[in-house]
Amino acid sequence: MKSSRIFLFGIALIVATASPAQFLKKLQQKAEQKLEKKVDKAVDKELGINQNQPTQTQLGGQNNPGGSSSGNSGGNNPSNNSGGGLISTPPNVKQNLSDAEASYKKNSYSEARYAVQQAMLGVELEIGNQILKSLPETISSLPKDVSSDQVTSTGSGWAGLTIQRKYQDKKDKQLTITIANNAMWMSAVNAYMTNGGYAQQTGGEQNWKQTKVKGNRAIIEFDKSSGYKLSVPIGQSSLIVYEGINFASEQEMIKAAETVDIDGIKKMLGEQ
Amino acid sequence: MKYVFLSIILCTPLVMVAQDFDKNLASAKSSYSSGKLEDARFAMEQMLRDLDIAIGKEIMKILPTKLGALNYNAKDDNITGGSGSITGLFVQRSFGAVPKRGSIDIINNSPMISSITSILSMPLIGGMMRNENQKIVKVLGYKSLLNKNVDSETGKTNYELQVPMNNTLLTLKMDDTSEAEITQAGNSLPLQKIAQLAQ
Repeated sequence: MKSSRIFLFGIALIVATASPAQFLKKLQQKAEQKLEKKVDKAVDKELGINQNQPTQTQLGGQNNPGGSSSGNSGGNNPSNNSGGGLISTPPNVKQNLSDAEASYKKNSYSEARYAVQQAMLGVELEIGNQILKSLPETISSLPKDVSSDQVTSTGSGWAGLTIQRKYQDKKDKQLTITIANNAMWMSAVNAYMTNGGYAQQTGGEQNWKQTKVKGNRAIIEFDKSSGYKLSVPIGQSSLIVYEGINFASEQEMIKAAETVDIDGIKKMLGEQ
Repeated sequence: MKYVFLSIILCTPLVMVAQDFDKNLASAKSSYSSGKLEDARFAMEQMLRDLDIAIGKEIMKILPTKLGALNYNAKDDNITGGSGSITGLFVQRSFGAVPKRGSIDIINNSPMISSITSILSMPLIGGMMRNENQKIVKVLGYKSLLNKNVDSETGKTNYELQVPMNNTLLTLKMDDTSEAEITQAGNSLPLQKIAQLAQ
């Protein structure tokens, strides 16, 4: 008898304590639902979506003006499936120099600067293409991949010129050569080379060291996931970076780097 | 006679820039024609520097000679053409003397522009980065960032107003001043004309 009373008291206590908690939970859920609805309405209003409009799935193909939903996946906005892209034409250097001269004479300095930047862009692209031509057809039996050739220039002088060529066997071996002129990271590399604080150490895992490529001081690095990276600063403001994936050894990497005519590139970039 | 002499002195640097520009233009044309691309490129870099200096001089002409009660320091006027360096054109004019100084810096292609624009245009990022000493204000229609800095040694309040305009950043600094004073000084600057010249 006594135990049943205790049991009943316990039940009453649980109900008494649980009810306010459940009530609060319910209240919280209701508030969340209301808030969610309000936010949805506000977003729909901002996006200009009509609340009473049927959804895309309800519309089906017959109400779609195009009769097809494939080109219309983003609501009622058509997606582009034609057009010839942009024509990549290097700026006409001579014309831009003449424009710069004319603008300068009219004291339109801003216009003159734009024209000079365009002329410089044209010249840098020509330099880049000459350098690409000078690179070997194959390196370490990897053929060049012309489709990935890149010459990048901003024409502003300070951001510089970047030239990239890839050599790959379409399997798992690849060599990427990047040549950068007036690159902002040149100072970092030079500091790396000259500062005693970066001196090579013994012991531990050696992931980088100083080396030489055709008489030019260089840094070679190795990373298990990205492979070998060889950075060769040339002259005052240029840098050649070789990135080799699945090269067997440091020697193979350096041998590959030596097939490039570094002195010729130096000359083309006006480096001493 | 005195004015003629003065005008000759004032115009001399611009004439020198013009001569340099013409010389570099001739060099760029002849180098390019003879296939010396790197020499042509070098001459063009010099042309950009010459143009930056010419633009800087035009901007200097329209900058105020007084900032509030502070007079400008004519001999400290500084113009740097940025070709080959990390930023473009740099124009600086200073005002007053220690302990109350002010300055106007105009930098073209400043690396600071993108971060300031983020604070001004994206409330979320701005909210995360902003602090109690930073405020967004409008100066002649341009959204600008106003920074307050209390000097721990002197206890004086210094302000800095950064106005990004397209690819140009104007920074106005005033020591020992008030928000009202620096805002008023900012509103007196020919911002639109500066942006037009520097772009």
